[in-house]
Amino acid sequence: MNNITLNKNLKPASEVEPVLKVRDLNVAFNIPRGQAKILEGVNFDLFPKEILALVGETGSGKSVTARSLLNLIPGRSGETKGQVLFAENDLLLMSDKELQRIRGNRISMVFQNPQSSINPVFTLGEQIFRLIRLYLSAAVEDLKQKTHCSQKQAIETIAKEKLNEVGLTDIKRTLKLYANEISGGMAQRYRIAMALISSPEILIADEATSALDVTVQAHILKLMKDLCKNKQTAILFITHDLGIAAQICDRVAVMYAGRIVEIAETKKIFANPLHPYTKGLLKAVPKLGKNEPLSFVPGIIPDLVNPPVGCRFHRRCDHIMNICRKQKPESLKFEDNHNVSCFLYKQNHKENRHE
Amino acid sequence: MKENPMAMQTDSYDIMAQKVIQEHRKVKWFQLRRLLKRKAAFLSLIILVLALVAVLFAPWIAPYPEQGQGAVNLEHRLQAPSPSYFLGTDVYGRDMLSRVIWGGRISLFGGVCIVFFAALIGVPLGLWAGYNEGISGAVISRVVELFLSFPSTLIAMAISILIGAGWFTAIIALIIPWWPWYTRLVQGEVLSIKQTLYVEAAQMLGYGKLYIIFRHLLPNIMTPVLVMILLDLGPAIIAIGLLSFIGLGTQPPMADWGLMVWEGAPNILSEWWISIVPGCAMFMVVIAFNIFGDALKDIFDSKG
Amino acid sequence: MFHVFYTNKITKKTDMNNPLIKLEQVNTWFPNNKSILGKPKFWIKAVSDVNLNIIEGECLGLVGESGCGKSTLGRTILRLAPLYSGRIEFMGEDIGQLDGKVLKPYRARMQMVFQDPKASLNPKMTIFKVLSEALHLNSSVAKENYLEQAVKLLDLVDLRPEHIFRYPHEFSGGQQQRICIARALATNPKFIVFDEATSALDVSVQAQVISLMKNLQKKLNLTYLFISHDLSIIEHVCSRVAVMYAGQIIEVQDAGSLFDTPRHPYTKALKNAVPIADPESRKELGILKGEVPKLSDPPSGCHFHPRCDYKKDICSKKNPIVYKIDENSWVRCHFQEELWQQGVLINSKESL
Ligand SMILES: Nc1ncnc2c1ncn2[C@@H]1O[C@H](COP(=O)(O)OP(=O)(O)OP(=O)(O)O)[C@@H](O)[C@H]1O
Ligand SMILES: Nc1ncnc2c1ncn2[C@@H]1O[C@H](COP(=O)(O)OP(=O)(O)OP(=O)(O)O)[C@@H](O)[C@H]1O
Ligand code: SF4
Ligand code: SF4
Ligand SMILES: [Mg+2]
Ligand SMILES: [Mg+2]
Repeated sequence: MNNITLNKNLKPASEVEPVLKVRDLNVAFNIPRGQAKILEGVNFDLFPKEILALVGETGSGKSVTARSLLNLIPGRSGETKGQVLFAENDLLLMSDKELQRIRGNRISMVFQNPQSSINPVFTLGEQIFRLIRLYLSAAVEDLKQKTHCSQKQAIETIAKEKLNEVGLTDIKRTLKLYANEISGGMAQRYRIAMALISSPEILIADEATSALDVTVQAHILKLMKDLCKNKQTAILFITHDLGIAAQICDRVAVMYAGRIVEIAETKKIFANPLHPYTKGLLKAVPKLGKNEPLSFVPGIIPDLVNPPVGCRFHRRCDHIMNICRKQKPESLKFEDNHNVSCFLYKQNHKENRHE
Repeated sequence: MKENPMAMQTDSYDIMAQKVIQEHRKVKWFQLRRLLKRKAAFLSLIILVLALVAVLFAPWIAPYPEQGQGAVNLEHRLQAPSPSYFLGTDVYGRDMLSRVIWGGRISLFGGVCIVFFAALIGVPLGLWAGYNEGISGAVISRVVELFLSFPSTLIAMAISILIGAGWFTAIIALIIPWWPWYTRLVQGEVLSIKQTLYVEAAQMLGYGKLYIIFRHLLPNIMTPVLVMILLDLGPAIIAIGLLSFIGLGTQPPMADWGLMVWEGAPNILSEWWISIVPGCAMFMVVIAFNIFGDALKDIFDSKG
Repeated sequence: MFHVFYTNKITKKTDMNNPLIKLEQVNTWFPNNKSILGKPKFWIKAVSDVNLNIIEGECLGLVGESGCGKSTLGRTILRLAPLYSGRIEFMGEDIGQLDGKVLKPYRARMQMVFQDPKASLNPKMTIFKVLSEALHLNSSVAKENYLEQAVKLLDLVDLRPEHIFRYPHEFSGGQQQRICIARALATNPKFIVFDEATSALDVSVQAQVISLMKNLQKKLNLTYLFISHDLSIIEHVCSRVAVMYAGQIIEVQDAGSLFDTPRHPYTKALKNAVPIADPESRKELGILKGEVPKLSDPPSGCHFHPRCDYKKDICSKKNPIVYKIDENSWVRCHFQEELWQQGVLINSKESL
């Protein structure tokens, strides 16, 4: 079924084929004042077994990126250009039917608001049983053969197993409940369990933990990390919490006004942030136990109907040069696994300009 | 960089307001333009406008106004379309074109009436029932459920029989089973909007039920209601015709489109125009309303 | 310039030492009645037996598990959630039993800012309408002056006057939250509840909004209740912090000392679960074992006992009493003194 052959004896991350390649993704929405160019030339790769954090300013287009990866942006409200290559196929060119076979199956998504993304009309049990019947029929048959139980018992056993994995307890009772009868933490874990039933190759988590308190969040983060390790799932983790990025993510991509301005290994980006926006963002992180005043990047995100020419950050940048107002900064390879789009780094690295 | 607002002259507020109102108009115009860019929606609009003009100015547009109202013209019975009778004549020799235009008066007026009053009754009840979970809300919900559990046409027929036949009573008989659909739609919308934080914020400011219903809920449910009104116009026109056909609606010699279709049905093979002409008129208007409503829905949906 | 904000309808004098808000044995229970007769089958005890003082001019933080009743407590103080029993004092007056018209002047003095700025602004209303709706509650502003006053409010939250006739969707998340703050300020309040007001914002915009909040607090002499999941932002913003678990306040301490020296096992668990924004110090995030307690049927005795590492027999039988640390801090645990002397609660500090 998988077109991607996962490399068992892992080579270094850079030599593994990415599961998802995003190339020159552009999204524009038609709004009354004109066309809002929300995403412009977004490029990144997602490798199996990695957690990629996507951070950035409110309204910079993180959720739009997530939605366009699954081709969820309705054609009539906007325009999507570029390529999203999943197993060598471009998701943006697929028909609805083909997409349906991928959405929720090979690529799953968890949204921020868990309760409203569970159908309130059916019990939790009914919903998860249906998914198991859909995706795990082989495992159900297997279990039936082995333990000589009925179809229903087999499905229930598997459901329990899956919900146990996400740390839910008292599952027998939980399966009989409706969405409004469980807490936010439970709902989020249930959603994640549902998203994982099909053993997706990619999981997109859009602020999946920002409504949860830290103890529940810690549990979910551990779950995701285990998932990545044990099932080779690649996770795109959209978050505001740089603490999470630092603790569990392998790489961090920083988005500003619809462009990825810096992408690097987590350690590198925290130790040596290059882009002025990344620097400002990291300075704004409140740190437990160090009560220094918070600093922030002054100004606001630009209007994307008339985006600034050149570097989209230039109106807020302290290091602005003449060229920044004229030309779009391309992605430069600063060192291995550390790319930045900023003219400050162009001179020194002209020779190894990335692609 | 920041201006001191105290230094601003008061008249600049007016200028500001002007600018914003202009911008606001632009938004409305933008939506309309997007609507008209769709060829189908544009065409539908033209058809609807033509139909409206025709029925409003029927006495001047119809070639034989008396025949349109029912006067017989026996020497020209069952004529095929010809220059003097554009769309032919019916069994009593009446000009089909005039008949269709006059019939459109009842059909269009009736359709609009039914939908308008159904919405007028249904929407406020839906607002109230959605916002109040108390006894009054529960009573409304039960009544709606009761109505929706019987086929609407059956209810309308029963009422028609009770209050007597005629095109006017038929309209009333149709409004009665029609409004609960609006109540149900609005109630559902309100239930979801009610939980949004801006409603809670208004409650926090101490505003009462009616204020919140009219200022916060109503403007936010207008779009689906409008779309439903447009989509309902076609079925309403068909429903009047149905009642007329079984003798409960429009009474001869007057006719609405639905009745005319049924009247011509026996002769469909020989004198096809008697059914086909009003059928086409009805079909075109119903489809036009549908396409227009669909387009409107698409455009409003895509905003979110 | 802000003279309008200081005219008070309620002219009761409050001493600096006297609390602005005093909660005594406050219970907020939601009836869960599925039966037709209206008799609740059981109660959801979202807030139970809360005693808390909020001192004038302070910023009190409120942290706790998802669904433990933090928002409900905030809404109870504002009289938006039904009070089951107890006493709520605002500037020395019991407002717990007030209703309708009598409550209106108090509504103006207490406001709330919600988590999701986009959802808390009606998409069909311009900013001017949003603000005038709130100004309506401020009887010291005449209707003719709404526009002028609204522009002043926008200035107060660092927005520009030309924004006033725009619609909410034309603003970024941070700006929308500023509008919400302006709306809260329009009624000339003394007390504002921020219910996870920054958790939808990124750290930089969050820092902007926080600095605005702090400035306003000083300028207008406001008192805040700041509800959040983010312990580090709580530590930055608040002077005192209350920790809530399953409807009860279990610990109150100064923000400086709470996370250095947590006194309650649950506070320690919270602190250990915070992801630190430093990839060099990766650690196993502390995971609290067991399930979130049900508010309809909370555990007996100490609500935390099924998940506590230090529980003994008495914990499941007797409600722990309040142990006062000093005037403004206390903790609710049977073995507080023992644990404190053993130092088990603070030994995880070096792992940070
Ligand atoms: N359907 C749409 N039509 C028009 N504009 C849209 C639409 N969806 C999103 N936008 C705009 O795109 C921009 C990016 O939105 P997006 O939700 O991706 O931001 P985000 O980075 O996820 O922010 P946050 O951190 O607040 O979730 C916003 O300015 C938003 O207003
Ligand atoms: N109007 C209501 N009717 C019934 N139950 C309610 C109502 N409001 C809240 N609850 C219940 O009260 C409990 C506490 O909810 P609350 O929203 O106060 O939690 P919270 O601490 O703010 O959680 P979170 O951190 O997720 O926002 C929840 O179990 C919730 O289901
Ligand atoms: S390209 Fe220029 S304006 Fe943009 S971030 Fe770099 S230095 Fe600043
Ligand atoms: S009272 Fe007992 S169970 Fe509760 S926190 Fe203290 S030690 Fe733990
Ligand atoms: Mg988002
Ligand atoms: Mg809450």
